[in-house]
Parts: sequence; structure tokens; C-alpha cells
Amino acid sequence: MSAQNAWGRRYLMCPPTHFEVLYEINPWMHREVPVDPDRAREQWEALVGLLRQAGAEVEVLEPRPHLPDLVFTANAGVVNGRQFVPARFRGPERRGETPHAVAWFAERSWRVDELPEGVAHEGAGDSLPFADVLVSGYRWRSDARSHAPLSAITGVPVRSVELTDHRFYHLDLTFCPLDDRHAITVPAVWDRYGAAVVDDLVPEPVVLELDEASQFVANSVVVGRNVVMPACPPRIGRILEKWGFEVAVADVGEFLKAGGGCRCLTLALDVDLSGRAARS
Amino acid sequence: MPAELVEVEGHIIDSLILAKVLDLIVAAGADYHMVDVRIGRTNTDPSKVRLEVRADDEGDLVALLEELQVHGANLVGELDAVLEVCTDDGVLPAGFYATTNLPTWLRLGGHWYPVENPEMDCALVVTTNPTPVVRTVPMHRVIAGERVVTGREGVRVDTPERPRGATPFEFMASEVSSEKPKSLLVAEVARRLRANRERGRRLLVVCGPAVIHTGAGPDLARLVRSGWVDVVFAGNGFAAHDLECNVLGTSLGVSVDAGTPTEGGHSNHLRVINEIRRWGSIEAAVSGGYVTGGVMYECVQRGVPFVLGGSVRDDGPLPDVRTDVVAAVDQMRQHVAGVGVALMLASTLHAVATGNILAAGVETYCVDINQAVVTKLADRGSRQALGIVTDVGLFVRDLAARLDPS
Repeated sequence: MSAQNAWGRRYLMCPPTHFEVLYEINPWMHREVPVDPDRAREQWEALVGLLRQAGAEVEVLEPRPHLPDLVFTANAGVVNGRQFVPARFRGPERRGETPHAVAWFAERSWRVDELPEGVAHEGAGDSLPFADVLVSGYRWRSDARSHAPLSAITGVPVRSVELTDHRFYHLDLTFCPLDDRHAITVPAVWDRYGAAVVDDLVPEPVVLELDEASQFVANSVVVGRNVVMPACPPRIGRILEKWGFEVAVADVGEFLKAGGGCRCLTLALDVDLSGRAARS
Repeated sequence: MPAELVEVEGHIIDSLILAKVLDLIVAAGADYHMVDVRIGRTNTDPSKVRLEVRADDEGDLVALLEELQVHGANLVGELDAVLEVCTDDGVLPAGFYATTNLPTWLRLGGHWYPVENPEMDCALVVTTNPTPVVRTVPMHRVIAGERVVTGREGVRVDTPERPRGATPFEFMASEVSSEKPKSLLVAEVARRLRANRERGRRLLVVCGPAVIHTGAGPDLARLVRSGWVDVVFAGNGFAAHDLECNVLGTSLGVSVDAGTPTEGGHSNHLRVINEIRRWGSIEAAVSGGYVTGGVMYECVQRGVPFVLGGSVRDDGPLPDVRTDVVAAVDQMRQHVAGVGVALMLASTLHAVATGNILAAGVETYCVDINQAVVTKLADRGSRQALGIVTDVGLFVRDLAARLDPS
């Protein structure tokens, strides 16, 4: 029997008060496709409800004007124990988010350790824990060069995976750790080395087809045995149920307009790869 | 070959990043050399590998490095060469870079420039015209104001290569062969001379007097006549005995046909030298009809350039001999461009002098009955020299028969 993830019961989220598509920094974003603010708010609140229902706590990061993507808290940084490593965004559009995230953690007495200047790394969006390592994507947003300092700062081994398809620009669109044996994977959008690394790491993956991955199926949030997904094709649902997971689908259609799903809207606050639980 | 140092670090073994980087280098047709490898002991320890990446072309290298950077391989700041201005003619700055005869590259302004004329024991002089040109210049030829490379920074030397191919030379691990079937080696040298000519490269022959003493003069003359030889370096002795042989039929007084000493023969070469001095030059003696055959005769007839370098024990010497040895080597330098193969025939001093000014890429075959001569050349840095220990007379005769069967 597999053991549940030791993390994923506490999340930082940011309401979509100022969320809209102001710029295009991934292939999913189109400024001419407007966000419906009311629908976005409803969807976000419904997601919060599902997560709480699944047993998760949700903490709130205050939204800021002109920072529409602050809702995607997954990219704020990497959490390990009481340590927060803020993101270094590749593009200038999102760099304004970082001071707000840093302030949130610093005010709550987290240790904030920064990556060196000159490297790009977009937080948990490109770094997800599996077993006792961080699987980290690179190419479109994060640099491979950020992985060595990330590992040095957190003390956690990093497994680098190259993302080869621009549509899947963050690792969390292609990889979702389910428990200590299972994960949702999209090896078709990794290079063969990265695919081999994950294949070696994950004993029982559920491999998504490209059309499934394009529905953001991997961008799901796992709370114990509950999986909150932007979409769940029947094939995947059957496999997850067989493995003992309960699936809930959250409509996050407004956020998909900006290229983000359930996972992107959350930052797990209870990741601790140093072996000590950070649950408060 | 342009090259740069790159560094990859992190969990590069478990993440297969190192494997990927190495595969990318090879797939790009480039090459690498591991300069430093530190593998973490446990799976939480990071590893660090420093690689030297080499490509044939600077453009290819830059493109490859950009690709490698995506995978986290960072360029390690390579430094430009340091240049210092000469203050006196013929005197180098104290810390000058002393060259090898290997292909050499210099980094200036972030770009790699090849050294135009690799030669050992020289300095590197940089001129800008308008792009930098790097030449080797012997110490005595530098001029005040010229910019000379000092230190080793920004200088890269390519690893030596031996002639390739499935040949008898492949088993000559010793570089000197006293125990190899000679006819096989001669056949291989003949094959290489043909290949050299097909590539449009020139053949340089360096001759010692034993070529004449052993009776190989006519065979070498035949090779000159049939166009195989492009340039000849020798000393006063070789030329004097070649001329003596053709004017009087003796070499150092010994009849080349009968092998017997001739009466008063010990002065034969002096008399011939004296007559050539009367003519004013070998060329004049040939056109005047005094000399009617032999190696020097064929050189004059075919316009094959020759350089005769003098020494302190020369008789005469012949009027063509350069008694200023520094000037003699400078003159030799003017003739080594385009040389693809050098044949050193029973010559010690001229062979070493020639070896000194040849680039490492010039295939050099050193034929001598004395193994020590062959070893000496290799020991002085001409690592590309392959030695054939045999009687030079037999060697040249066999070679001429193979190259010019008429």
C-alpha cells in the first residue's frame, strides 16, 4: 500500500480581484479573450471550498492591482520546512509579484533565502517534491543553472527535467505527485533524459496523452487521498479510483485563459524535505 | 581548434544532465575533454564537472555553447592572451610565450585566431590588419614595437596527431624502426609521397653527404628530374660531393662506380669547389657546362630551390653556401610553406635544423643507418618524425624505383 503525500494540507492562495490577461507570456494567453471577473471569483471560491472540503487549510495572500498573475501562487517560490526561496521570474511582467510574496513569508517569521541573481526559477511551478527529491523543470521559465543553487540553498537533491514543448512551460503542467508511489506524468513533453529520470523515480506513473495534458489534467492539487483536478478524463478517473483516490473536478476555465489550473492557483506551505514536518 | 571551458554542477549524474551535455557535444560533431570531475559522495552531495569543449569552427562552438547553457553548462571565463610590446630589436619581453610546432590558437577579444605558421621555439607576434594575424617569429627577427604574447593565458595548442590509416607505421610504436621490413616501409613512404602530391603539398628533401657516398646520388637526381622533389636543404658537403661525383666520378676521392680510392682523390672535392667558386655559383657552373648531372644539376635545371647552410668545418665553401647560419635558417623558413612531407636523408645537423622550423603537421621521415640520429630528432621536439633505420643508398634507390619506374 502506498503512503499519502506528507505535504499538501496547507496552501497559500490569492483571490482573483485583479486577475485578467494583460500580457501574453505563454501560448495559452490571448489578450483578446477577456476574463470574466465574476466567473473567475466564483471559480476561485469554489476551488477553495473543494480544497477545504478535502481537508486542506487555505491561507490568503492579499491581491495587488497590476499584478494579475499573483493569483498563481505556485510560482511565488519554493517552500521547504520554514524556509522560503522566492522565485526569480524570467520575464519582467511577473517580477513585481516577488516582493509581496517575500513580505508575506517574512512577516510570519519564515526564513527567506534568495537564489543568486542572474538565474531564473519560477517556484513550485517548476519544482515539485517526489520521494525525497525535488523534480525541477527547466527551459521556458526556469534555467537549468538555477538547479544547483536551489539544491545548495534547500539541501534537497534536485532532479532536472527539460520541458520540450512550449505549451507545457512549467513542470506542474506535466507532473503531479500523487503519493509516494504514484504520479501523473507527461513524458511526451520531456526530453528523453528527463523522462528516464522520472521513470526511474516514480514506481507507478499514470501517463497522460497530449490531449489529456492539454486539458491541464496534471495541474491538480492532491490533499491526502483527494485529488482536485481542472478536468478528469474517464480513463484517468478510473485509474485514480483504482489507486484509492477520490477525484473532484474544479472548473477553473477563467484561469485556463492565462495558462493556469488548480495547482498553479496554490502554493503548498507544508512541504518539508528536510525530514521534519512543518505542520502547525 | 577553438575551445572553451564549461562547468556543469548540481545533481548532474542522477538528473542525467552530464550524460545529456556530453551527448549534445558529440552529436554536434564537437569534442570534449574532462578537465576536472568531482562526483558527490552521497545523493545529496552535488557533483561538479569542468569540460573543455572543442569544435572545428568558432561559429559551431558558439552555437554549441549556447545550447549547452540551456542545460546548465556555464562558460568558465576564458581569458584573452596578454600582449607586450618589444622594446628592442631581436629581444623578446621577459615572459614571452615559447611556441611548440603544434597547431596553436590565440584568444583575442573573445575570438580564437589560428597561428599562421606553427614553428617551435619562437615567439607569437600579433599584428592587426584589420583583424588580428598571429605569426611565429624567431627571437632574432622581432622588431621593437611589435606585440608579443606573454604568459600562457589565451593560448591553446592542439594535441599532436600521427598519420592515420592502416599502414605499416601503425605498429611502429617505438617511432624508430630498426627491426621492420624495409621494403614495406619504403612502399608506404612512396604511397604517402603520392598522397602528398595529390593534396597539392610539397616534398622537402634534406640531404647529408652519405647520400652521395652510398651511391644514391643518381637515384635522388632522378627523383628531382621527374618532379618529385620541390625543395632541397643541405650543407656544403652534400653539394660538394654531388658535384665532385658528377665532374670527377668520385665522392670524397672514392670512385662511386668501382668503390676504389683514386690517386690524389682526397683533394678532388677541393678542386671541384675551387672551380665552382671560379664560376661564381652552382647555377653558373651548370649553365656553363662544367656540371652535367647530379642532384644540384637537376635542381638548377628544374628550378627546384635549394638552401645550402654553412658550418665551421666546411671546405671552400661553395659560393652558394650561406655562411651566416642565422640567415641560412631564415632562408630555409621561406621555403617550408606548403611542405607536406619532409624526407631527412642521412643528415644530422640539417635534419635537426629543419625539424625545428617545421610545423607538427608535416610528415617527417628520417632515414639513417644510425638509430641515434633518428632519436635525436624526435627528442628535440619534432614528435612527428618517424625513423627508418637503414642504408640511405638502398632506401633512395628503392624509393626512386617505386616513384619513377622508367
